[in-house]
Amino acid sequence: MRKILPHCLGAAALLVCATGAVADDPNLSGLAATCNNCHGVGGVSAGSSMASLAGQNRAYLEMVMLQWKSGERFSTTMGRLLGGYTEDQIKSLAAYYAEKPWTPAAQELDPKLVRQGGFVLDRCSGCHGKTGGETKTEDTPRLDGQWVRHIDLELAKYRDGTLALPNQKMADNAHKLKEKEVAAIAAFFASQSGEKAETKSK
Amino acid sequence: MNTINRRKFIQALAAAPLASVLTVPTSALAAKKKAKQVVVVGGGFAGATAAKYVQMLDPSIKVTLIEPLKTYTSCPLSNEVVTHHRTIESLQIGYEGLTKRGVEVLHDTVTAIDPAKKSVKTQGGKTLGYDAVVVAPGVEFDFTGVEGYSQEVSEKIPHAYKGAEQTLLLRQQLEGLPDGGVFVIVVPKAPIRCPPGPYERAAQVAYYCLNHGKPKSKVLILDSNDSFAKKALFEQSWEKLYPGMIEWVAGSAGGTVERIDAESRTAATAFDEHKADVLNFIPRHTAGGIAKAAGLTNEAGWCDVVPLTMESAVHKGVYVVGDACKGGTPEFPMPKSAHMGMTQAKVAAGAIVASLNGLAPPVPYYANTCYSLAAPDYGFSVVQVYRVDDNQFVYVKEAGGVSPVDAPAIQRKLEAQYADGWFHNVMADAFT
Repeated sequence: MRKILPHCLGAAALLVCATGAVADDPNLSGLAATCNNCHGVGGVSAGSSMASLAGQNRAYLEMVMLQWKSGERFSTTMGRLLGGYTEDQIKSLAAYYAEKPWTPAAQELDPKLVRQGGFVLDRCSGCHGKTGGETKTEDTPRLDGQWVRHIDLELAKYRDGTLALPNQKMADNAHKLKEKEVAAIAAFFASQSGEKAETKSK
Repeated sequence: MNTINRRKFIQALAAAPLASVLTVPTSALAAKKKAKQVVVVGGGFAGATAAKYVQMLDPSIKVTLIEPLKTYTSCPLSNEVVTHHRTIESLQIGYEGLTKRGVEVLHDTVTAIDPAKKSVKTQGGKTLGYDAVVVAPGVEFDFTGVEGYSQEVSEKIPHAYKGAEQTLLLRQQLEGLPDGGVFVIVVPKAPIRCPPGPYERAAQVAYYCLNHGKPKSKVLILDSNDSFAKKALFEQSWEKLYPGMIEWVAGSAGGTVERIDAESRTAATAFDEHKADVLNFIPRHTAGGIAKAAGLTNEAGWCDVVPLTMESAVHKGVYVVGDACKGGTPEFPMPKSAHMGMTQAKVAAGAIVASLNGLAPPVPYYANTCYSLAAPDYGFSVVQVYRVDDNQFVYVKEAGGVSPVDAPAIQRKLEAQYADGWFHNVMADAFT
């Protein structure tokens, strides 16, 4: 794998350089094409249990992929896949997906749950933002318009209590949620269009 | 990938180190020249993906997909149709998505491929020239070798290993299984498509029996092989979910079926005769007939390919992807799965676009993920990653493997959910 961004040094510079340069590397787009099988063309998932990756925060994508590769973070299949790729390849993939447009999933949601979710956000909004799109840090995933079933499954992993998941703050908060609040919060974040966050970030 | 601009893709290919050692023809980026033609033979997961990705990477190429059926029925997850957990319609998709992208879809059957003249002939009387052809015919069944079995008999003794009709026939027979009845699955010598399929089917049938008033029924697997994919995980799931209901007989323990009697639904091995209430006979596989007719198959009946590009090892300009390729044996493990076929198709598409623009192929990436469902909420998987070294497929040992036998309980539930998400994504990735 050739180095894709040889002239980019700092993290801030990386973000700027990543635009265009990453997507045009045929070797990288070939690698990313293998991700499409499960995560949808260009990382826009067509299967509700699978995360959409397009437009997700770069630092988050990079962090979880490296944690899956090392085994620090529990995964079902991702660790077994990423063992086959270098850290550089993983970082390039994170940048590749991060620069694609965020595309909220078209999904049917229970309006009652969405409304209830809006009332019990406090435990989540500190890090994920009020819509799930204005994340406090780059290594926090944006959730606005993510598939509800995927968010439900992520919360189930944290609430299970038996899995290796490095983010203790997230685990603590997931455990503190009442059963009824889990589905409501997932539905609320899933219902967000992503527009507000996009506008604000510009 | 979907937004890739052809000009940029080709410029980037030209700039890539692999290409830099070659002379990049100035015509590569010329705007006006005769459109190159790519013909894809077969519209399953692999063929559809190849057509789509060639078109996506270089929209100036005219892509024609030739497939006799107007509706594709997925083999993955079809065991859940046998047990009524899914409808057959939920596994079906048409070719409109590819048409919308600009792929020409011709519902016809290819009867001959001429690698010298670079043309294909169809049953409908058409002759199409090509600059590159992708051959993705999948598997064909070998109805010889077991006495009493034939294509005609398969209409009564279903294989349910290809096509909607066969799946629905097996479902109908399972519905009629009496409580206490025996459901026999006959597994041929490897390689077969979907290697864990028969063992997943055993679990699904047991699940159906438990939940449809047939708890005393048994599933007997008569196997021509001595092991199978995800064996420890399957045996664990059988024991846990369906204790005493599923029995597996290895080839070396007398599992190889030599003869069947369709009338009495009896499968005979060298040692015993097994009378079934439902007999599910899966015949041996070979590459689809057109691959053989085109001279692409080896002695074992499968197609050898160049690992860097998926180009046939026999004929230049002919690329073979999917189940028709060599693979799925202990010596050559690249399995015959939808996922594998799709990654092969993407490699072929990249190589074809590069080649038709006078450039060296991009680095190929091969990965496979295959889920099995022992019950609707009980799934596990196998992952393989391959790289190409010295023109050989190499299994990457740092990656891959099966779900752990001692995984936390939630993993089986998660993997069942992910199997469904995987399915929707592969259907969308290949056909829309």
